[in-house]
Amino acid sequence: MEKTIKINLGGVLFQIDEEAYRMLRDYLQSIDHKFRNMPGGNETIEDIESRIAEIFQSQKDLTGIITKENVEMMISIIGTPEEFDQYEEQDSGHEYSHREKRMYRNPDDSIIGGVCGGIGAYLNTDPVWFRLLFIVFALFGLGFLVYLALWIALPLAVTDSQKRELYGDNFKKSRDHVPGESARYPYSTNVGNAFNEVFRAIGKVLFVIVRIILIIIGVIFVLAGFTSLFSFIIIFVFNYPGAFSIDTGDFNLAYLPDFLNYIVTPSMVPLMTVLIVLVVAIPLLAMIYGGIRLIFWFRASDGYVWLVGLIVWVLCIAALAIISFNEGISYAERGETTSLEYIGPAPDTLYIRAGDKISDLNADKEIALTDNYYRIYIDDKKNLVYIRPRLDIYPADNNSTSIEIERESSGTSRLDAENNARRLVYDFRISDNTVFLDEYFMIPRDSKWSFDVVSIDMYIPEGTIISMDRIAERMYHSHYYHGYATDSEDRFWEMTEDGLEYLDYDID
Amino acid sequence: MQTRKAVQKMFNLKTIIMDLENIKAQMRKGILEYCILSVLSRNSCYASDIIKELKEARVIVVEGTLYPLLTRQKNAGLLSYRWEESQQGPPRKYYELTPEGQKYLADLDKSWEEIVESVSLIRTRKKPKTSKA
Repeated sequence: MEKTIKINLGGVLFQIDEEAYRMLRDYLQSIDHKFRNMPGGNETIEDIESRIAEIFQSQKDLTGIITKENVEMMISIIGTPEEFDQYEEQDSGHEYSHREKRMYRNPDDSIIGGVCGGIGAYLNTDPVWFRLLFIVFALFGLGFLVYLALWIALPLAVTDSQKRELYGDNFKKSRDHVPGESARYPYSTNVGNAFNEVFRAIGKVLFVIVRIILIIIGVIFVLAGFTSLFSFIIIFVFNYPGAFSIDTGDFNLAYLPDFLNYIVTPSMVPLMTVLIVLVVAIPLLAMIYGGIRLIFWFRASDGYVWLVGLIVWVLCIAALAIISFNEGISYAERGETTSLEYIGPAPDTLYIRAGDKISDLNADKEIALTDNYYRIYIDDKKNLVYIRPRLDIYPADNNSTSIEIERESSGTSRLDAENNARRLVYDFRISDNTVFLDEYFMIPRDSKWSFDVVSIDMYIPEGTIISMDRIAERMYHSHYYHGYATDSEDRFWEMTEDGLEYLDYDID
Repeated sequence: MQTRKAVQKMFNLKTIIMDLENIKAQMRKGILEYCILSVLSRNSCYASDIIKELKEARVIVVEGTLYPLLTRQKNAGLLSYRWEESQQGPPRKYYELTPEGQKYLADLDKSWEEIVESVSLIRTRKKPKTSKA
């Protein structure tokens, strides 16, 4: 069933089918074009419109839908603007012969886009020759592009006056063919006719192929748009990070919305969330809408909507950029504080054990940044951020064991960064020959994350045997170079001149 | 003086050269306007009634011709209109002659009679004898 369109004509609502609608619209445009610039023209146009409505009302059959036949009947009663002209002051022949000729695409003689038909009408030649020319050039790949360019560049001759400009002095000649059919083939020879029929068939096939391709593209757009939008809504609006998170080991985008709370000034979070939603959602909606338009191929005067959408989108991006820049300033400088503690003379065997463990934290989220080493744990209920510190073990210069805690952070200035570094909470304990290192350091509540790093540097005399439990080993920065432990037993290392060396035998 | 005469001459020439189509159009247009006023002189009408009558008299072929003329006559103060509700559809414009229009029509009637008289006088006159006494 064909689509119907609701229109308001002279204050009356009508349902009209698509073909009739196009015809009526062209007719109204030609009326408008004729009277618009005359004194009292608008009133005349209104009068004619209400008369059209009246004719339609008297003709409406039971279905109530205006068809092409109704429109044709109406035009035959009211007449075309050219027919009005026979009583007008300026004789149409005089007026229009002086009109400049202009090139248009010709809707009355078109196969694909009416380009050749337009050239033919403009040059008063059978368009079949231009069609042949384009086909020949298409073999070299050029004709296709030229045709496409002309298709886009040339406007379609919709109104009668545009057609006049297209045909020039031959306009009347083209009109003589009007009865019944539209002004088709005004210049076609018999040979040309046969060719034109062939081209017309080819054109139809081409058009169908193009439409199918466009529909496929449209479907892809709509599907992609919907899935992206759906995922986005799930992640952002329903805050369900697990849904689409793929742990690549790199930055995990799915946590971003939650993580936002910890990296920007808290008051900025709602605004930034709205901006991010708009920046992502607007193109997705545009994609879905564009896809739907490609599929159903309808005309809509939605230029303003696109424009407004684009402007809003650009403004959102600009606002986001400005906010991000301001936020970024707070990470501009880095600063660090260091504290050193001597444990005393080294025991034969030094045990490094985990103090407070991450597994006891009940963190809601875990984020890996840049590598697996730097991990962030977030406890949303307590609004706290925990990060795993980095442990390095070096040979000591003298015979004593020491631990150096280096806190590093960012800030607007070096001083600010140092202050930020100082606030990081990290604890360790020493008892006899055992060092208990907490597996995490903490960023105090209501303070944002600023690339905080805590490094634990242990200096141990050569010859000392070191035992690390699994958690300590995981903090040990260089443990990758020594492979992973395959069993649950603690492993042993020995401090040598070159650093820590893995002992693949048990001491005891 | 000389130039002015020349210009006038050229102007006359131009009007003469107007092709037949144009003369016909001018005549029809004048007659059509006259007919519209005549129809309205009997009673106030709505556009469709005027059209019906003009169509029957074969003065117009298509309705669209009428609307710009009605607008022009109204703007010239010859006509006025009032809105009237209609059983089916939107309210309609009922046109009627203004006093000015009535006076204008009376003038037209008079000149029409004169024209008809003159034209028929000329057209019915027998071909004059070739030789005159």
